[in-house]
Amino acid sequence: MRDEGTSPAAAPATGQETMIGERTATGPGRPRRLPWRQMNGYYFVGPAILFFLFVSIFPLLRTIQMSLVDVEAGVPSFVGIRHYANLVQDPWFWNSLSNVLTFTVSSVILHISMGMGLALLLNEEWFNTTLRNFMRGLLILPWVFSTASSGLMWTLLYHPFGLLNYMWVGLLGQEAPIEFLAKPGLAMASVVAVNTWKSYPFYMIIILGGLQAIPAEIYEAAKVDGANAWKRFWHVTLPQLRPILIAISTIDIITTVGHVDLIRMLTRGGPLRSTETVAYYIYKTALLDGNLGYGAAVSTLMLIMLAILIILYLRVLSQGDEAGETSF
Amino acid sequence: MKRASDFRFKHGYLIHQIFVVTLTTLSAIVILTPVVWMINAAMRPIKEVLTYPPQLDPSQLTFEYMASLIENELYRGYFVNSSIIALSTLTIVIVLGLLAAYGFSRFKMAGGRIMLLGIMALLMLPTVTLIVPYFRLAHLAGLYDTRLGLIIVNSAFILPICIWLLKGYMDAIPVDLEEAAMIDGCTRLQALQKILVPLAVPGIVGTGTFAFIFAWNEFLLAVTLTDTPDAQPLTIGLAAFFGQFVRDWNSIMALSTITSIPLMIIFVLFQRWVVQGMTSGAVK
Repeated sequence: MRDEGTSPAAAPATGQETMIGERTATGPGRPRRLPWRQMNGYYFVGPAILFFLFVSIFPLLRTIQMSLVDVEAGVPSFVGIRHYANLVQDPWFWNSLSNVLTFTVSSVILHISMGMGLALLLNEEWFNTTLRNFMRGLLILPWVFSTASSGLMWTLLYHPFGLLNYMWVGLLGQEAPIEFLAKPGLAMASVVAVNTWKSYPFYMIIILGGLQAIPAEIYEAAKVDGANAWKRFWHVTLPQLRPILIAISTIDIITTVGHVDLIRMLTRGGPLRSTETVAYYIYKTALLDGNLGYGAAVSTLMLIMLAILIILYLRVLSQGDEAGETSF
Repeated sequence: MKRASDFRFKHGYLIHQIFVVTLTTLSAIVILTPVVWMINAAMRPIKEVLTYPPQLDPSQLTFEYMASLIENELYRGYFVNSSIIALSTLTIVIVLGLLAAYGFSRFKMAGGRIMLLGIMALLMLPTVTLIVPYFRLAHLAGLYDTRLGLIIVNSAFILPICIWLLKGYMDAIPVDLEEAAMIDGCTRLQALQKILVPLAVPGIVGTGTFAFIFAWNEFLLAVTLTDTPDAQPLTIGLAAFFGQFVRDWNSIMALSTITSIPLMIIFVLFQRWVVQGMTSGAVK
């Protein structure tokens, strides 16, 4: 690297100057940066940025381009916005949009409330830290399994002769087993349950990290003021967790909207297309039916909707930065 | 849980402890039931999986199904593919991620903030929005149905979170250590190698575990970009097996268990660092 030529004695002197300049420019609370040869940073971030340009950004642009073209005929022909015009009139697209709304809203609420509940338990005072860490490990475990495995585990539990129906029929004495994945109204709830089981640990751990970062003095002060546990949760814990909760709900919405594998393993969009989300619809039209152009149009529409969400989120994040909430 | 804290004041420490431990244990039991059920079904003698009442007698367990799957060359192939894909992805994202995280953490660059925001946005990009162009481009580039193709696209989706996690770690390591080493005559790369990387090991292990689990479990890209067992990972093998032998729950669960064993081992070994990485990322 070019640094080898720099005389070691000269470096700290120039370093100090830039450091002071940088401090005043970016304010306190920023990590200090190495002062030498500012431009050299590009050597380090360059490979990753190039990789993203070729493997993420270029295909992203291709998605948009492909949505304007009909490719299945062999020879690509430009069709303009015809795919989008068809899309607006496609009842199955609207069906998938309303399904993904149900799927995402219920999943996100369940992920965060379950994550919050268990994180609060783990954040309590435990008589034995090893036991607490062991429990934490057990509670994270569902996150480790692949969606394929989780889907199969739950298909077995949901089976007409599986464990859940054993409880329903065998223990509760009901007449007929419940068809968890085959009843239109119930299938979505069953898929949401699996998604909750599979993904809550991630949010639990992040919330736990947030809880541990809340200074104990605030709780002490609240106790002195006579706030009970509920009031402390409502007036101390929740406001302190606000930036984290905003971040994880955004990330959760976007992850949940993108789920294909879970639905592929559990219901394949059925019964009666009641669990077909937008993401599964893309997979189905583009890969199973070979309608690449139309799939690309649905993808582009999904990208636009998510981009709005991401921009809103990054806004909130930057504002938080100015207010000193995050150091991003 | 909130009531529990009140009890601590009124009735003492013991009741609070019993409440917290019991509630956590009950949650853990409910949450782990599907996993126990999978392993149980994988080891039940035939036809005992779906009987009333469910069988749990441990003296009847058998390793027959798992053994026959391990002996089957097709499934060994899936296993090898998954290992190659996950380990190569892991290597790529750790190398590129470390370099980029170092750059973002230690240099002030024109456009650095924009690039970081861009990476933040890529972190949230859903895989499904890119499967159409990937399908097409992989055919054009001759990467369709190859492990290399899968490794490249997997890396693109895992790298953003790796950069983010590793940058968090590096920000927490004081710059003075590197400055001292460089004053003593180390080049920047030597300082990176000898000072920063050893200090960042917990972060690298945590991020690496994260990346491995991600790559090992990836499904959608694999189903998009592969067609034959030559390049397909275990997740696809599992789905194909399920489609083919819908009633053979013993073998399905045996294969699912085998697929999950490496993950469970890795997770038990590295859990501490994964949790550390995720929590410190959140606090920032």
